[in-house]
Amino acid sequence: MSIFSFFRSAPKTSAVQAKERLQIVMAHERVGRSGPDYLPMLQQELLAVIAKYVDIDANKVEVKLDRGGDCSTLEVNIELPGRDQIKAPAAKDSTPSKPANGLGKDEDDDKATPIKSAASVLTNGGVSKRR
Amino acid sequence: MGKIIVMTSGKGGVGKTTSSAAFATGLALRGFKTVVIDFDVGLRNLDLVMGCERRVVFDFINVINGEAKLNQALIKDKRVDNLYILPTSQTRDKDALTKEGVERILNELCKEFDYIVCDSPAGIERGALMSLYFADHAIIVTNPEVSSVRDSDRILGVLNSKSRRAEQGMEPVTQQLLLTRYDPERVEKGEMLKVDDVLEILAIPLLGVIPESQAVLRASNIGMPVILDENSNAGQAYLDAVGRFLGEDVEHRFTTVQKKGLFSRLLRRSA
Repeated sequence: MSIFSFFRSAPKTSAVQAKERLQIVMAHERVGRSGPDYLPMLQQELLAVIAKYVDIDANKVEVKLDRGGDCSTLEVNIELPGRDQIKAPAAKDSTPSKPANGLGKDEDDDKATPIKSAASVLTNGGVSKRR
Repeated sequence: MGKIIVMTSGKGGVGKTTSSAAFATGLALRGFKTVVIDFDVGLRNLDLVMGCERRVVFDFINVINGEAKLNQALIKDKRVDNLYILPTSQTRDKDALTKEGVERILNELCKEFDYIVCDSPAGIERGALMSLYFADHAIIVTNPEVSSVRDSDRILGVLNSKSRRAEQGMEPVTQQLLLTRYDPERVEKGEMLKVDDVLEILAIPLLGVIPESQAVLRASNIGMPVILDENSNAGQAYLDAVGRFLGEDVEHRFTTVQKKGLFSRLLRRSA
């Protein structure tokens, strides 16, 4: 072992890679089934309505249902194109890569998102954490 | 009123039948009248693992179809008091499991037994769904390996949406993780997911960690639940898990590499 290996960061072990891959794939899969069956339909219809008025990127829409103890929140995040984005289309798009079930770190969205419309709707209280 | 436990995993080959046999035996050893049911219709194997394959006359499906009485199909274990096996059919297919039929048998068993352990088949098809539908408790058998963890997550989703408790808005099925075939040496080398990794991903409480052990194969070879091999790590880990299931505070063992002493190194003995 050379003295330089001390300074190099250790390569990721296969177990660490396994964990990361699982977290990513399962975050996606849980979104698909986390909510009631109407969630994907709701997302599509919301998109269709908004797309009538604004030019939006389908990948920058996030519909999320969080179940809490007493109440659940339905969160709809739609990234709208900002004025300056026309000039600089290469804005960092952080939203789609974010694991939607909160497994990942909370990202600082402010910089990347020109305008963000967020709506929260209370639904009936769900007791179980996931469904 | 008996409690219904389902041993499930989604993925095959992770140790559901081994764990069902061990767990049911463990509960019976504690004095609870216990029956273990094979739900893997067409691929009967619990009878072999329990060592009662030559005593099967009638099966679960016969009872559902009214061709035999429950008492005719139940096989009493010869080693442990209070332990019974309800084998499944080797010839029919899983469509023979009707919800009404399963419910009727489980209701009947609940009157007589303290615990009913349902050994689920792999997959999320009818047999698996029937085995978990009526459950009060679910034990999720998982290997520290990507496909098993993913399938376990899937089966947790099924429990939370398709079980009777979910459908009827009752208190949810309790879910506990049984991590099997755990190899602390490979974990230390970074070759295997850690207990904590799996717990973090699946987010359910840990019932037990069963170490990878040669005793499991030895036990199934001779048709003995591995929990009866009290000298083996796996047997002891199952005994601990049964204790935890019953609410006892038992420390986890066999999750770290056990440093071999000079003596055992000289003898080259493996656990």
